[in-house]
Amino acid sequence: MKHITYLIIGIAVTVVFFILSCTDGFNIYEQLFFNQGFNDKMYNLNMYPVIAAITIAVAWGGAAIYYYAINSVKFDRWYHWLAVLGVVAVLTPVVCYIYNDSVFASNGLMYVGESIQFEMQTVLFAALLFIVASFSMRWWSSNCRHTPLPQ
Amino acid sequence: MTPNMRRLPIMLITALLLAALAACGGHGPLEKAVRGMLVSGDTTRASYDSLCSIVTGDPGRYGDMLTPDGRVDHKRMAELIEHIGSALRPPMHWDTRPYGGVDDLSLTVYFERSGSMVPYDQRGGGGQLKKAVNDLINHFPAGSKVDINIVNDGIYPYQHTVDEFLQDRDIYQSTAGTGDASYTDFQLIFNKILEAQRPGNVSVLVSDLIYSPQDTRGVSLDKIFNEENSLATRVFARYKGKSVVVQQFMGDYSGKYYPYNGIPFEYQGKRPFYLVIIADSDVMDQLAQDKRYSGVLDAPAVRNSYRFNQGTSEVECRVLPEWKDNAGRFRVKHGEGIVLAKCDGDRQTGKLCFSLAANLGTLLKDDALLTNAANYNVQSIDGYTLTVQPIDPGMFTANNKEYLEGMTHVLTLVGDLKSPRDEVRITLRNELPAWVRQSSSTSDISATGSFATTTLGLEQLLGGMFDAMRGGDSLFDITIQLQR
Repeated sequence: MKHITYLIIGIAVTVVFFILSCTDGFNIYEQLFFNQGFNDKMYNLNMYPVIAAITIAVAWGGAAIYYYAINSVKFDRWYHWLAVLGVVAVLTPVVCYIYNDSVFASNGLMYVGESIQFEMQTVLFAALLFIVASFSMRWWSSNCRHTPLPQ
Repeated sequence: MTPNMRRLPIMLITALLLAALAACGGHGPLEKAVRGMLVSGDTTRASYDSLCSIVTGDPGRYGDMLTPDGRVDHKRMAELIEHIGSALRPPMHWDTRPYGGVDDLSLTVYFERSGSMVPYDQRGGGGQLKKAVNDLINHFPAGSKVDINIVNDGIYPYQHTVDEFLQDRDIYQSTAGTGDASYTDFQLIFNKILEAQRPGNVSVLVSDLIYSPQDTRGVSLDKIFNEENSLATRVFARYKGKSVVVQQFMGDYSGKYYPYNGIPFEYQGKRPFYLVIIADSDVMDQLAQDKRYSGVLDAPAVRNSYRFNQGTSEVECRVLPEWKDNAGRFRVKHGEGIVLAKCDGDRQTGKLCFSLAANLGTLLKDDALLTNAANYNVQSIDGYTLTVQPIDPGMFTANNKEYLEGMTHVLTLVGDLKSPRDEVRITLRNELPAWVRQSSSTSDISATGSFATTTLGLEQLLGGMFDAMRGGDSLFDITIQLQR
């Protein structure tokens, strides 16, 4: 039951993150980096929910691959887990940037510098969500359930 | 652990991903299409028609957007567009009235046929007067109801068709003998126009606006002016909710001119004439904003114009986040009027400079009035100063396009950011414009001096209208809250 509680908390945190990425008044993506013109375009073009969905999918997908696809005693050390976190933290901003850039380009907008700065915060959010996802789903992994911290 | 318990995490994770996907695509195709069109500025008739197709193509989903007979409810559509547009940054508006649900406006022309008007339309002249009236009629959409009347001592219906009027090369010749051309009874004419006006009607008086009542021999000019001023105030004060636009044109004049002292003289040269456009305030707003009527209020030949307003107007404003003059930092708060939060002065100068794009076009004031900062009052604790410049196409970039589109002027404010909270209030003073005084004369007994560009007693006539229709001290009022 304790493990299910972890999973539910993890999902709740992720849902809250997603909701806060869609709101106008307090938007989680406008707290660490803000540029009025850039952020207004992100909001109007409905990009925040997609960026959040990409971040969630890569973080939870990365954790799922580590615990259920890799799921090997050869890779059950904390640094193996950290390496996957690193991949998630690099992959997320790259995918988000490609998405941002394609939407801006299709609307004739130029926000290269702002996009790069903006994606820096997706590194942080992806890493945090990967940790949340890891502690939500690790319990059902047959070989990596003790990674990163033994329980 | 039972197999069901083992499946639970997978079910929960799947539910999470589905919820995320649903949230991303949570809006229907109509809402998405409206948002896309507003953001990209694709607000054309074709776009609106495609929205209607979405509604009619899925009556099960959009049944509430249809009328009982299965047609698109344009009012509901306008409400939906307004709802989506107002949630955007900056809030956007799309005037869909021309595309359905609103009847065409009707036009009634009152063509003055007094002695002093005949020389404006001589065969040898440039025909500017006739062209102005023809353009006015032609700028109304085909099929609009158009009536033409001849006015002098009374109002007489024009006895021919509109097409015949448009092709008539000598309108005064073909209307010879209509009424008494020796004087013009403005009181009667304005009263009749205002009385006869029905909702959705635009009435236009074509006149030289020279007050020439019957028998002015021996009457002092001051007395005539005072009478003229009182008459204008009395007539227009009686009819509430009206809006009047006076447009000044220049035309070739060739023939006898009848001055106030009754001794006519020959004059050949330029003379001003006027179109006085009278409508209900909401109709005048529609005339100004509805693209079907573009050219009516902004005809290229208009030399000067002025809208006699009834009170303060709403002016659409957008804070420009990316603007060459911006200095310091601020963050626009949405949905609470204009609020700039987290304001920070420029690191070197300590000044905060921000700009607003505003649509001052609906005020129907000339650019000289709108761009002169001396015509504005700016109140604030930190002493902000204002500059106003018209928007030109060279200012548009891909990134600022959606802020500038539909706007006419950029209002730039600069001040020392000292107070933790400040309120900057901008008002445009409601005063008779300078061109009225400059176009007015106190004597017309000879064609000397500024005779070619002035009208006898114009200031008194328009001043009377101004006093009658003046709704407040300001034409518009914008307040900007500043927070550190």
